Amino acid sequence: MYCVRKVTEELYWVGANDRRLALFENIHPIPRGVSYNAYLLRDEKTVLFDTVDWSACRQLIENVEHLLEGRPLDYLVINHMEPDHGASIEEILLRWPDVKIISTEKAFLFMHQFGFHTDSHECITVKEGDTFSFGGHTVTFIAAPMVHWPEAMVTFDTTNGVLFAADAFGSFGALDGRLFNDEVNFDRDWIDDARRYYTNIVGKYGPHVQKLLGKAAGILDQIRFICPLHGPVWRSDMGYLIDKYDHWSRYEPEEKGVLIAYASMYGNTEAAAGALAARLAEKGVTNIAMYDVSNTHVSYLISESFRLSHIVLASVTYNLGIYPVMHNFLMDMKALNLQNRTFAIIENGSWACKSGDLMQKFIDEQLKNMTVLNERLSLASSLKADKAAELDALADAIVESLNK
Amino acid sequence: MLFQTTPEHEALRAQIRAFAEEEIKPIAFMLDQQNGFPDEAVRKMGEKGWMGLPYPREYGGAGLDILSYAIGVEELARVDGGAGVILSAHVSLGSWPIFAFGTEEQKQKYLVPLARGEKIAAFGLTEPNAGSDAGGTETTAVDKGDHWLLNGGKIFITNAPKADTYVVFAVTTPDIGTKGISAFIVEKGWPGFDFGDHYDKMGIRSSSTAELIFNDVKVPKENLLGKEGEGFKIAMATLDGGRIGIAAQALGIAQGAYEHALAYSRERIQFGKPIAAQQGVSFKLADMATKLRCARFLVYSAAELKEHHERYGMEAAMAKLYASDIALEVTNDAMQIFGGSGFLKGMEVERAYRDAKITTIYEGTNEIQRVVIASQLIGRLSRGSGGGGGGSRSAPKKPAPITGVRKHHIFKEGDAQAKVDALVAALKKDGHDFTVGIPADTPISQAERVVSAGKGIGAKENMALIEALAKAAGAAIGSSRPVAETLKYVPLNRYVGMSGQKFTGNLYIACGISGANQHLKGIKDASTIVAINKNGNAPIFKNCDYGIVGDVMEILPLLTAALDTGEKQPAPPMVKMKRPQPPKPAPIGKSYVCGGCGYEYNPELGDPESEVAPGTLFDKLPEEWVCPECGEGRDQFIEA
Repeated sequence: MYCVRKVTEELYWVGANDRRLALFENIHPIPRGVSYNAYLLRDEKTVLFDTVDWSACRQLIENVEHLLEGRPLDYLVINHMEPDHGASIEEILLRWPDVKIISTEKAFLFMHQFGFHTDSHECITVKEGDTFSFGGHTVTFIAAPMVHWPEAMVTFDTTNGVLFAADAFGSFGALDGRLFNDEVNFDRDWIDDARRYYTNIVGKYGPHVQKLLGKAAGILDQIRFICPLHGPVWRSDMGYLIDKYDHWSRYEPEEKGVLIAYASMYGNTEAAAGALAARLAEKGVTNIAMYDVSNTHVSYLISESFRLSHIVLASVTYNLGIYPVMHNFLMDMKALNLQNRTFAIIENGSWACKSGDLMQKFIDEQLKNMTVLNERLSLASSLKADKAAELDALADAIVESLNK
Repeated sequence: MLFQTTPEHEALRAQIRAFAEEEIKPIAFMLDQQNGFPDEAVRKMGEKGWMGLPYPREYGGAGLDILSYAIGVEELARVDGGAGVILSAHVSLGSWPIFAFGTEEQKQKYLVPLARGEKIAAFGLTEPNAGSDAGGTETTAVDKGDHWLLNGGKIFITNAPKADTYVVFAVTTPDIGTKGISAFIVEKGWPGFDFGDHYDKMGIRSSSTAELIFNDVKVPKENLLGKEGEGFKIAMATLDGGRIGIAAQALGIAQGAYEHALAYSRERIQFGKPIAAQQGVSFKLADMATKLRCARFLVYSAAELKEHHERYGMEAAMAKLYASDIALEVTNDAMQIFGGSGFLKGMEVERAYRDAKITTIYEGTNEIQRVVIASQLIGRLSRGSGGGGGGSRSAPKKPAPITGVRKHHIFKEGDAQAKVDALVAALKKDGHDFTVGIPADTPISQAERVVSAGKGIGAKENMALIEALAKAAGAAIGSSRPVAETLKYVPLNRYVGMSGQKFTGNLYIACGISGANQHLKGIKDASTIVAINKNGNAPIFKNCDYGIVGDVMEILPLLTAALDTGEKQPAPPMVKMKRPQPPKPAPIGKSYVCGGCGYEYNPELGDPESEVAPGTLFDKLPEEWVCPECGEGRDQFIEA
C-alpha cells in the first residue's frame, strides 16, 4: 500500500520509515528508528528528489507509482549520494528508463563508484547557482560541500519556497504519520534525536555548515518549507532550528549546564561523580546530566557535550592510561571537532593515578580552545571524608565558572 | 636573463667603496690593534643615509633595496670586516625587527633615528645556555601590570655597548618552550641595564661586542615588540634576513683578501717572473675568483628574493653557509700567496684571515645553516622520529614543573635578613594576612597555610624552629613523607604528598624539603609555594613561587621574627587565592578546511609530505599545493 503525504501543492513526501535498523551507519543506535525522506513534484514534468535506503525501496516505488498515475518519471534530482538516500537509484533507473538525472559532478562520480548504471541515461551536471525549470517550478542549486559529504547540494524551489535540504536539518526518529514540525512537539520529543543526529553525523563540519547557513540567510525570507532527508518537514518556527544549527556549528553550547561522564570499574569513581553532582545541585546548579560512559553509547555523550557548557570527566586509571571507553569518548570529541567547553577532572587510581594528567593532556593538546579547571579531585581507590574540602573546592570552581 | 646589478647599484658600490678606502682603510690597522670602534666613520655613514639603506624614506631610510644593503656591507667588509658587521647588525638585526613587527609608534620612536643613523641598534638573543637553541633562553620578563620586569643577561652582543636601542628576547611564559619567548625594545641607560666587558676577540676587532646585564630593568608595556609569545618567531625571521648581511660580510672580507693577493702575485718576482705566472699560484687565484663569483650570486639572489617578498630563508642560509665557508678558504689562500709577509701584523690579508672565521660561527653556525636548509628540503618528518635539531621548535624543552606555572622568584639580593624581608613583603603584597592564623593541628587538607619540614631540618630539636615559624605565620604544621614516616617527628597524618595529605590552601612554606615528585603532586594546587633550602638546585625551587637559597637554621628564625605579630586573630573561612591558568600560545594563523574531504590545514603543522614547512600560513602555500587527502585545490578551502 502506498503511504504518501502532501507537503504543498503538487509536492508529496514519498519516503519510508525504518524501525528495524538497530544502528544508523552501523554505528549509532536509533531506538526510535529513522525516516528516509524522498519527495515527488508533479509539475509539467515529474521530478523525484532523492531516493531511499535499499531496505525501503519497495515502499518508495509504490508511493511514486501511485502519484504518477501512469505518467513517466521525467527527472531524478540527487542532492546527496550516501546510500541511505542513493541506494534505490538503480531501481528507479530500471523502472523509468527515460528518466534524466540531475546532480553534481562528484555525485555522478560516486554513482559510478557505488555501481549504479547511469550511462544509458541523460545526466545533467549542475553546480552552484545553476537553475532548472520543470514547467511551473524553477529550482536553483546550492552547493553544500562537506555537509557532510563533498558531493552534497541543496535545491531551492523559487516558485513555492521549498528547500530540499539534503542531510541538513535532519533528525533520527521514524515518522509516525505526522510529517510536519507543527504536528509534533519537537522541543519535547525530537530535539534530542535531532541533536544527536547533527552532532555525530555533521558535527565535525561546523565551518561548512556556517557557510551554508550564510547562503541560506540570503533567501531566508523566501523559504516556506525545509524538506530534509530524515525526520520532520519544517513549515513554521524555522528560527528555532536555525538557532540550534548556529550554536552547534559554531561549537557554542546551547545551555549553561554540566555533563558528568564517569568511567567506574567498581562504583568508587561513580560514587565520587555522584557526590560532586549532589554538591552542585545543592549549590544551585540544576542543569546536570550524568552518564556512565561504559553503558551509554558515545553518540549520546557527544550530543550532550554539544548541548552543555561544562563537562566533568571522571575516570579510573586503567593499564596506566585513561579507561578505554572514556578515551574513546575523548577521541570522538576530537573527531567531531568539539570546542569551547570548560572541563573538570576527577581521577582515580589505586597505585599510580595517571588518568587525570592524561585526560588533561588530551584536552589541552588534542582539542581546540578548551579550558580545564585547575581544581582536580584525585582519589586513591575511593572517596573518603578527608577529601570533602577538595570535593567542595571542585564544585565551587564549577559553579564559579558557570556564573562567569 | 642577464644576471647583473643595475647601474644604480654599481654607483652606490662606488660611493661606499670610496668612503671605505678613504675613511676606514687608513685607521683599520689601528682599530684592529686597539680594539677600537670607528665612531666617526659610523656617524658619517649615518649622514649619508647608509645606516637605513633598505628602509622606506618615511621612516628615515634611504628607500633602497636589500641588494643595495648587501652591497654596502660587502664594500665595508672588503676593507674592514668589523665595519661590515657594524652595519649588518645595525640594519638586519637591531632595526629590522622593529621595522617588521613594530607598531607605528615604535617605528616612529625607534626606527626613524636608527635608519637616520642618529642611533645604533643591536640584537640580544644569545645567552650562555641559549646559542643555537633559543629554547634555552633564561632571561625573564615578568608582567608587573604597567611594565615588564626584565632579569637575566645576554652574551656576545654585536654593537654593544655602543648601541642605543636593543631588541631583547626574554621568557614571558616559562616552561612552554619557544612559544613562551617575547621580544622587547630596551634602551641603553635604563636603570638596571648594564654592560659586561668588551670582549677581546680574535677578529672583527673594530666591531664592538659586549655582554648585556639586566637587573630588574623596568620595560614599559608599550615596548613589547609584536605580541606576547611571538619572540621566537621574530628572532627566527630576523635571523633569516641577518644571514644575508653576514653572507655579504664574508663575501666582502674574501673579496678584499683576493684583490690583495691578486695584486701581490703580479708584483712579487720569484724565479725571474711574477709568481702569478706560476701555475700553482694562478690556479689558486682562479679557484678564489670562481668561489667569489659563486658566493656573490648566492648572496645577491637571496637579497633579491627577500626584496620581492619571495621565500628566502633557505636561500639566505645557503648564501651565509657558502660565503662564509669560502671566505675561510679564500683568505687562507690569499695568505698563502703572500707567504711570510702575509703572516705579519699590519697586513690586510692577516687581518682578513682572522676576521673571516667568525662568519662561519655567528648568526647561526654553519651547522645550523645546514639544519635550516635540510629542514626546508626534507620537511618535518613524523613526530618522534627526529632527534636533536630536527625536533619540533615549539615543543616544550622540558616537562612543565609538577606544580604548574609558578613565579620562580628566588631572592638573591643582600644578606639573609634582606632576603627574608623581601620575601615577607612579596607575600604581604600578594594578600597573605599574617595578623590572622589557624591552629597548628588544623588538618592539612583544610589548612589555609602550612609550614612544612623536610629532612633538611636535621635533628629533632630543630623542629622547634618549624613550630615557631608555624606560630608566627599562623599556619598548620606539615612535613615531607620521611619526616613523618622514618624520622617520626610528626604524626603520619601530617605528611603532605600524593600518598598523604593534599594541600590545596593558599600558602605553603617548604623548609628543608627538596621536592620529590610525590611531595610536589600533593601541593600542586597551593596558591603560593615558598621554598627554603640550602641546595639551590633542589627541585622545589623549580616548583616554587618564592625561594630563598639558605640554611634553615639561619633563615627560619629571621622569617619567624619578621612574621611574628604577637597573638593571631582566628582566621576567617578560607578564601582560595586563584592560581593563574597557564596561558595558551596564540595560533600563528588561521586553519582552513577542505570542501572535498574535511581535511584541516593547520599552519603550525604545515604539510610536511608536500614539503610545506611547519609555520607556513595558508595564504603562503604554493599555488600548486592541493589537499593532501583528496587533491582538491586551495580554492575549495574555507576558513575553519
